[in-house]
Order: sequence, then structure tokens, then C-alpha cells
Amino acid sequence: MGNYIPLLITVPCIAALLILSIPGRVRFVREAIAVLAVTVNLIVTLILFRGNATFSMPWAGFGFEFILRMYHFSGFIVLATAGFGFLVTIYSTVFMNGKKYLGQFYAYLLLSVGATNGAVLADNLALMLFFWEGLLLFVFGMIAIGGKNAFKTATKSFIIVGISDLCMLAGIALAGYLCGTLKISAISLPVAGLSGVAFVLLVIGAISKAGSMPFHSWIPDAAIDAPLPFMAILPASLEKLLGIYFLARITLDMFKAIEGTWASMLLMIIGVITILLAVMMALIQKDYKKLLSYHAISQVGYMILGIGTMVPAGIIGGLFHMINHALYKSCLFLTGGSVERQAGTTDLTKLGGLLRKMPVTFTCFFIAAASISGVPPFNGFFSKELVYDGALERGFIFYAGALLGSFLTAASFLKLGHAAYLGTLREEHKGVKEAPLPMLVPMIAIASVCVFFGLWNSFPLRHFIQPILPAESGAPSLPIATGAPLSTGLVVMTLIALAAALLNHFYGYKKTGSGVKASDHIHYAPALRGIYDKAEQGILDPFNIGMHWAAFVSRVGWLCDRAIDWLYNVLIVQASLLIASGIRRLHNGSYKTYILWSLAGLVFVIYFLLRTV
Amino acid sequence: MPSLVILVPLIALLILNLPLGEVMRKASFWVALGFFIFQTVLLFCHHFRCICGSERFINSFFGMDVSVDHLSFMVMFLVNIVALTSLLVARHAIKDSDARFNFINLIVIASAGMNGVTVAKDIFSLYVFLEVTAVALFIAIALQREPRALEGAFKYILLSSIATVMMLTSIAVLFFAAGDTSFASLKSALQVSGKSPVLLAAIGVFICGLFIKGGLVPFHGWLPDAYSAAPAPVSVLLAGIVTKVSGIYTLMRLVAAVFGFKAAVCDVLLFGGTLSILVGAFAALGQKDFKRMLAYSSISQVGYIIVGLGTGTALGIAGAIFHFFNHAIFKTLLFVNAAAVEESTGLRNMNKMGGLSSRMPVTGATSVMALLSNAGIPPLAGFWSKVIIIIALWVSGRYAYAVIAILAAVVTLAYLLIMQRKVFFGNIRPELDGTKEAGPGYVIASVVLAAITVGAGIFFPYVFDHVIIPARSALLP
Amino acid sequence: MLNTGLLIILSLAALWTVMTRSLIKSTIGLAFTSIVLTIIMFRLNSPLAAVFELSVCTGLITVIFVSTISLASPLTPKEVELLSAARLKRFWYLPVILVLVGVGLLFVKVPLDFPLPHNPAGHDVRTVLWNERVLDLFGQVIILLAGAFGVAVLFKERKKK
Repeated sequence: MGNYIPLLITVPCIAALLILSIPGRVRFVREAIAVLAVTVNLIVTLILFRGNATFSMPWAGFGFEFILRMYHFSGFIVLATAGFGFLVTIYSTVFMNGKKYLGQFYAYLLLSVGATNGAVLADNLALMLFFWEGLLLFVFGMIAIGGKNAFKTATKSFIIVGISDLCMLAGIALAGYLCGTLKISAISLPVAGLSGVAFVLLVIGAISKAGSMPFHSWIPDAAIDAPLPFMAILPASLEKLLGIYFLARITLDMFKAIEGTWASMLLMIIGVITILLAVMMALIQKDYKKLLSYHAISQVGYMILGIGTMVPAGIIGGLFHMINHALYKSCLFLTGGSVERQAGTTDLTKLGGLLRKMPVTFTCFFIAAASISGVPPFNGFFSKELVYDGALERGFIFYAGALLGSFLTAASFLKLGHAAYLGTLREEHKGVKEAPLPMLVPMIAIASVCVFFGLWNSFPLRHFIQPILPAESGAPSLPIATGAPLSTGLVVMTLIALAAALLNHFYGYKKTGSGVKASDHIHYAPALRGIYDKAEQGILDPFNIGMHWAAFVSRVGWLCDRAIDWLYNVLIVQASLLIASGIRRLHNGSYKTYILWSLAGLVFVIYFLLRTV
Repeated sequence: MPSLVILVPLIALLILNLPLGEVMRKASFWVALGFFIFQTVLLFCHHFRCICGSERFINSFFGMDVSVDHLSFMVMFLVNIVALTSLLVARHAIKDSDARFNFINLIVIASAGMNGVTVAKDIFSLYVFLEVTAVALFIAIALQREPRALEGAFKYILLSSIATVMMLTSIAVLFFAAGDTSFASLKSALQVSGKSPVLLAAIGVFICGLFIKGGLVPFHGWLPDAYSAAPAPVSVLLAGIVTKVSGIYTLMRLVAAVFGFKAAVCDVLLFGGTLSILVGAFAALGQKDFKRMLAYSSISQVGYIIVGLGTGTALGIAGAIFHFFNHAIFKTLLFVNAAAVEESTGLRNMNKMGGLSSRMPVTGATSVMALLSNAGIPPLAGFWSKVIIIIALWVSGRYAYAVIAILAAVVTLAYLLIMQRKVFFGNIRPELDGTKEAGPGYVIASVVLAAITVGAGIFFPYVFDHVIIPARSALLP
Repeated sequence: MLNTGLLIILSLAALWTVMTRSLIKSTIGLAFTSIVLTIIMFRLNSPLAAVFELSVCTGLITVIFVSTISLASPLTPKEVELLSAARLKRFWYLPVILVLVGVGLLFVKVPLDFPLPHNPAGHDVRTVLWNERVLDLFGQVIILLAGAFGVAVLFKERKKK
């Protein structure tokens, strides 16, 4: 079995190279190859993912082994990757039709799938880093093909992710140095001292890949600039899967992190801050895709919070939320794509009343939005309940933050749904039709999985999530596996929060008379208004702040550099030219000079030789 | 075979001068081409022990006391390669058929002289063949009787005669001490009385004579004028191999076989070599004339060879021999490129050129390879030899020399890149728009030489083990 | 006695070689000087040195011939007169230096601090030339060929112009 594992990496990559080598005029062949490759990938994954197998071969010497390990956790992620890859590719065949850089788009898509598989399966940190960095390149390429401003956004994402990847590189080097091996399954470190530094560095790499604050600010920009299927596959699903997978590997396998340590506290604080700040930003957005992208950041907070609690319920909730989020968020992005393609815009102020024109899309949106808001009995509800459970165990403040996030999430989705699908249909949208079948099928498929994971949550929990936890943690005895939430009190609180969100929405709607402005009373609330304005202008963007400082440092550096440059380019060059011209002037072409030089040389040589006697 | 290297050129000369009138003038190029190829084949046959019986007979018949070892083999191979290149260049560059015929005769004579230098085992025979080479080159430089060329030739003659006087004086003294002029007896005489100031002075005088021949600073006055004034094929021959054989090879051979690696001799070599490296590199930086720049670059590169020899260690000598090989190849290539540029544009001033790469792609590309090899950029051959020399300097504790050698390599890269940018890169100047490749001879020669440079760099371990190390053992067993 | 006579002839020939203004005469003088020197060496029982002297002479004559031919352009008698006057003015110090060096050498004792070899003589010039120095012989042949070639080429070129 193990010998087939590399297929998961080679098939997408070879297909990508094939696609790149086919000229643009040839139609449908590239789509066919892409669909074929993701289908093969899905089939191979379906055959392989249940088993435990490793594949290894010597690689590059120095003890670096090309070693891939398929077990229940990585198999689960690979299966999800294959599923999303397959569905998004099907969706793209219609959505991307007629767009520019089609070949590059499919190539990057497939390469991303291959690199994600590689990073997930790799059982060697160096090998994992190789695929991890590869993903960075493909993200860059994928954003860069988007349009006019895309290159700037691509560079931004490249810098942000690149810096955090550098942290991860340092962390890997440190961990490898401390442990004497780079084999992930052989690493076991405490979270203290130097290995604590390694832990933090690795966590930075993992959560920034997942898109957590403060490494998030490229995602909303990319939502506007990059092709939409990119958002559905990378920031919404693959990167979340990969980042949270690696975070879980770090905290559960590589480092013996336990509840109550500073590491746990750090993760929980990051989680709550991410939840709240991102969802506050999401609430005021007036663009379908941008609003979703802030939620893509916000929901990461739940996962980090869940894993950061370090208690079984929280970890299980975090991981369950990871897969749920990948499902509903990609579904939401796909509905966004449908609206963009059919209605021609994603600006919420220009949309409205699409419910009657696009009922299937609305249904999918409704299910996914209910999931993300944590409405029972959809999947998001159950994973959030588990996270709440874990958070409450560790401190009331974390629970309160998470619940507030839930309230705001629900509010923002009420606003989004209201603005896009309800209300009055605009004149220019009279002729809008439902999206074509290849776009509907992936949405329906994902939405139905959302419903399935909600109604029958014991299936994913028992088969995918629980085996991930170490056996001794006592997880199997938890009643959550049956599908019922742990505590009725939490459920009540959640329902209250949802009801509050609904009331808040109606209040806003009554006040302004429009769905899209339903959150304006929060937006323009006395204390928040100034902060929001600054955030909208990008002043609070950590990237911009960092760039501001970087500009200062680079100016200082530039001055030093000029000085050194002057030393090299002016002083040394001028001195060299001076010497050169002096030498040239000495060569005056006179026989006498040359003969005299020779004789002087002769005298010197003889003197030198005789001196030694 | 050792005596054949003298006899075969003589026979070729005879064939060339058969009284066949115009027929032979027309065919002279092909006869000479055939001769050099035949000589190369003969060399390889001998080297790989394919023929044995007949050569012993010839040797005994003529009774010449000569010998061929791996180093002589390598040098003679280079002589043939460069002579072939020069022949190809002459086919295009010398338009007049009479002048070309004369030049071809002179190449054959010069090659006989250089063959003699490489096989001689006797210091006086060495001197005689140095004179043969020199006379052939005087005539060749002055062949077209342009005022500049005459001036260059005259400087060469003048400084060469000073070198001759120095060498003869030294030979007289050494002969006085040894009673014979063969390398072996001179060496034993020097071993017996190595501390004698008179003999040391004689060694110094001889080394200075060879420094003049090899064009080391401050004995180099003739070199830039002669290189830049000579007609294209002559400068290829002169820069590519003649100076190296008559100055550098002889120095290697004599220091190893006669003078011995005395500390004082090594210091003279190191000092002279380093001075040449520096002065040559800086002087090259300030030149406008393409060939003159290359001439100063030659001085600088020859300095590296001498410095490598001056370390007196096995590694340093191996580096020197390898740099000798590389320099012969890439400097010939650069001179071929300069000749091609001059042929097709009529220009030598680099400031008036520009963008020629777009019109002369082969010349531009091979020039890049030659300059990278010359500047010591991996993985080209020049990199390995320079690195070996610098490592040898460092290992033998001459840190200052090693640092200077590294810094000069930077200057080398600078002036060569300036050359490349001025001549080949950038946009084509409007007045040079109609430029084309100069001719198939140039193209063939430059491609073959570039292939050797790149090949020797990439297959460096093989070349080093099978060519350079045996050649080094000929000097330092 | 005979040697002394030869030495005087040698000096006279050398003087004539230097002083004469005609190139041809000068060359002939050089050849003559060289021959006298060879005879002296042979008489002093040093055939090897004699053979070397012949070799060098061949080379030198060739070089001088070629160089002058390549450079010289025919001068008018007036120019010649001017040049010779200038030459005397410019190089008056050369004989003085020569004399000074000669006197100096008389007083400086060159230290002959190495054992002299046994006299290797015993062969006559023929043996030396044909048996021991064959390689030089070939070299001289080639030099002469080259020289003849150069003279022919450069002279012919000049005649054309």
C-alpha cells in the first residue's frame, strides 16, 4: 500500500506540468486533464486513507529521508483535500471559463493540492517545509493572476506568509537541533526554555498558514483580487486544514503541551482576539467576498481556541470545527462565486432579492450560513458547543469572548443573507438565472455534508476526530461521540445569543430600512466608529504597520548601504581608475623607458638573490 | 617521435615551398591545416604508445638528445591547437594571398621552434629554439609593414635581444661551472655549489631573460605594443602560445629541472608574479583598445601562473600548469573574438562599439565563456586553476599573496565585464547595424575553444587527474 | 704568439663592425669577428664553446638583418650626415662607460667559489657539431631558413612599394 502514497503528490504535479505545457488555444483539454487528475487523486485517497502505511526512500543524504506517512489523522486531511480539490475543480470548469491565465490557474490549483498532500503526509520536518514553502509560491501565483491590483496583494501575502514561514524554518531548525532528528513522529520536546522558543516559532508558522491574526491581512485583499475558486480552495479549506493539522501535530505529538501552561494561555488569547477582531470587521463589510474572508479569519480563532484549551473536549471541538469550517466556508465562497458570475457583482449595496432567481444557491447559502453561525442542528453548532465546553473549563472570559463572536457572526450573516437574497430585486437583475449545474453540484454536495455532519455528528467524531487524540487522554468515554451536546446550559446560552443576533438585526433593519445597513448602529456606535474608520483605512493592519517600520529601517539601512556603496563604487573604483591611469601614463611607448625598467628589474632580482647568500 | 617534432615541420616547410607556383599558394592553407592535424594525431599516437618501433630508428639515426614527457605533450598539444586557430583566423584576416602564404610558412617555422623548446634537454638547444621562435614572430609581426606593426616588432626585437644577451651571459657562466649545458649536468653542478654568488647571479640573469620573454612586470614593455600592433592571426599566435612557451614553460622547466625550488628563487617568482598580476589587472582596467586590454590581461594572468610556480609545492605547480593550459585556451579565444570584431567592424576602440552580441551571437556568447573562465567563475576551467593556485598560496603560508590574488581576480572580473558590456551587450549602435559574423573560420575556432574551456571546467576532476597531475609529476616527481 | 695576433685581429674587426655606417659592411664585420673568435676558442681547446659561438652568431646576424630591413627606410645623404653628428653627440658617454666598466672589472675580483669541471675537451669541432649538437644544428638551419625567408619577403615587399 505504502508504495502508492507518492501518487498523491506526483499525479497532481505531473498534471499541472502537462497543463502548463499545453498552449492556450487548445480548449477543454486543460480542464479535462485537471478534472482527471483530481478524480484520480480522490480515488487513490479513498483507497488509501483508511490504512496505516509509510513510504520512504533516501533523499539528499545527510539523514534526510523522503518519508511519507499515512495514518488516521493525515489520511483524514488528505481525504478532505482530495474532496475539496475535486469539487472546486468541477466548479472552476464553469466559473473560470473564458478568464485569462486559465492554464496557470489549473496548474497552481493542482500544485496546491499536491503540495498540501505532501506537507500533510511528510514525516520529516525538512520535507514538510519543502512542500509548505511550495504552497506559498502557488498562493503567490494564484493571487498574481487575478487582475490589476493582484500583484501587489500577491506580494503582500508572500511577505506575510514568507516571514512566518521563516519563523517556522527557524523553529524547525531549533527543534531538529534539540531533538537530533527531523522525523516528526520521533520528536518529543517539553514546552520550556529553548524548546519553548521552538514551539512558539512553529506555532507562528502553523497559525499564520491558517490565517490567524496578526498574519491575516492579506486574506481580505486576496478575496477582492484573486480568482474566487482560489478563495474557496486555499484560504477557506486547504490552508485551514494544513495549518490546524500542523498546529495539532505540534501541540499533541511533537510537544507535550498540557493545559494550564503559558503555551495554552497564549493560544487561547490569540484565538479569542482573532475571533472578536475579525468578526467585528466582518460585520461592517459591504462586499460579499470580503465579508466572507473576514469570517475565514475569525473562525480560525475558534479552532485555535479549541486546541489551545488543551482539554479533550476543546481539542476535539477545534478539530471538528476545522473540518466543518472548511466545508461551510468553501460552500459560502462558492455561493459568492455563483452570485458574482450570475449577477455580475458582489457589492451588497447593489444586490438584493436574488432568492427567487437563485433558489438553489440561496438554499446552500442558508445551510452554510446557519452552520457558521452555530444554529442547531447544523455541524457548526456541534463543533462550537465543544469549543465552548473546553473554553469554559479553562476560564469564563474565553467562553464569553467566543460567545460574543458567535453573536456577531450570526448578526453579520443575517445582514449578508438579507442584503443579497431578500429585499427587492433590482432592475438590472431581472434577467439573472440560476447558476449552471457544474457549479451547483459542488455547493449542494458540500451543503449536504454540512447537514449530514450536523445530524449525524457522531460519525465524523468517532471515525475521524477521536482517533487523533492520544488514547490515554480519556476522550473515548466522553458522551459527545453520541452526538448530543454536553451541557444544556451552554446550549441555552447559544440559543440566547442567536436570538439576540436576530433581534439586533431586526432593530437595525427597522432603524435603517435596509438589510445591508442592518449593522450600521454597531458600525457607527460612538466608541467604535473611530476604530472602524482606522481599520478600514488599513492603519491598523499589522502588515502596514510592519511595512511602515520596515520602511524606516530600510531607510536607515539604505543610508548605511549608500555609505558602503560609496566606499565600493566611488572610492575603490576611483582609486582603481587612478592607479590604472597612472600605470597607463607610465607606459609612454619609449624604448628607453622599457629597457630601463628591464635593467632595473634585473638589478633588483640579482640583488635579491645575492642578499640571501 | 621526439625528433619527429623537429623533422615533421621541416618536411612540411619543404612541401609548402615546392616549386609548384600558384597551385601551392592556393593549397598552402590546406597543407598547413593537414600538417597541424597530422602533428596532433602523431602527438596523441605517441602519447598513448600506439607507435614505437620506427621512432627509435629515427631517433638513433639523427642522434638528437630530446625527450617528451606529459608536460611537453600538453604544451605541444596547445601549440597545435593555437596554431590551427591562428591558421583559421589568417584565412579570413589576411586578404592578400602572398602575404597569407608567407604567414603560413612562418607559423610552421614558429611551431618547429616551439616544439624544439618543449623537447629540449639542453639549455643551449633551448636558447637556439627560443631564437627560432622569436625570429619567426619578428617577421610575422612586421609582415604587413604597417608603421604600428613595425614599431611593435621593433620593440619585441629590442627587448628580446636584451633577453638573448642575458640568457647567453647566464649560459656562459653556467657552462663555465658545469662544463656542459645539459640540464642534468647543470643541475648537479648547481647542487654542488649552490651557494656561489656568481652562479646565483647567473640564475637571476637567466630568470630575468625569461621574464622578458614571458612579459612579466617590469620586463613587459614590449608586450602591449607587440600584441596590439600585430596582425590578428599573429596576435592570436603570439598571445595564445608563443609568449607562454618561450617565457613561462621554459621557466617552469628550468626552475624544476635546473635551478631548483630555492627559497630565494621562489620569492623572486612570487614577487614578480604578484607585481604582474596587480599591474596587469589595473592597466587593463584603463584601456580603450580591445587588444591592448587583452594584452594587459595576459600579463596579469601570466602572473598567476608564475605565482603558482613560485609556491614550489606540488599543488601550486599543478595549479600553475592547469592555469597555463586554461590561459592558452581562453586568451586565444578572446583574441579570436577581438579579431572577429575588428574584422567585421573595423574597430578596436571599445568605446565606439556596443550591442554586437545581437549581430555576432557566436562571438558574443563565446566571449562570455572566455571572460568568465578568465575571471575565475565556477564551473569554468579558469575557476579551478585559480582556486588551486590561491589554495596553494594559502596552504604554504603566503597569506598576503593569496589575498592579493583574490582581490586581483575581482579586478579581472571588472575589466572583462566592462569589455563585454561595451562591446557586446546593450543596444546595437546605428552605425554598426549591418555587422555580421566575421566568417566561418572565426566561428569554428571560437566554438571549439569555448567547448574546450567549458569541457575542461565541467570534467575538471578527469582533466586534473589525467592531464595535469602527470604533467606536474614531470616537473616534481 | 698566434693567439695574440688573432686577438688583435678580433679587436680590429669588432671596432670596424661598430664604426662602419653601412649595414652590409657591419654584418660582414660581425661574421668575421665571430669566425675569429671561433678560431681562438678552438685553439684554446674548447670546441663546444666554439660551436656555441657559431650558433649565436647565426642567430644574431639573422636578427639584425631582419630587424634593420624591416625598419630601415633609405635616407638622403643629408639626413645621414645629420644623424651621424647627432649620434656622436648623443652617445659620447658610451665609450666612457665602457672604459670605466673595464677598469672597474680589473679591480673587482669575481669570486670563483665553485669547483671548475674537468676539461671535457678531447673532441674536435666536427665531432661536437655533428654528434653532440645535432639539435642545435637543426635549430640553426631553421633560423637561417626563417631569416632568408624574412629577408626575401620584406625586401620584396619594399621593392614593390
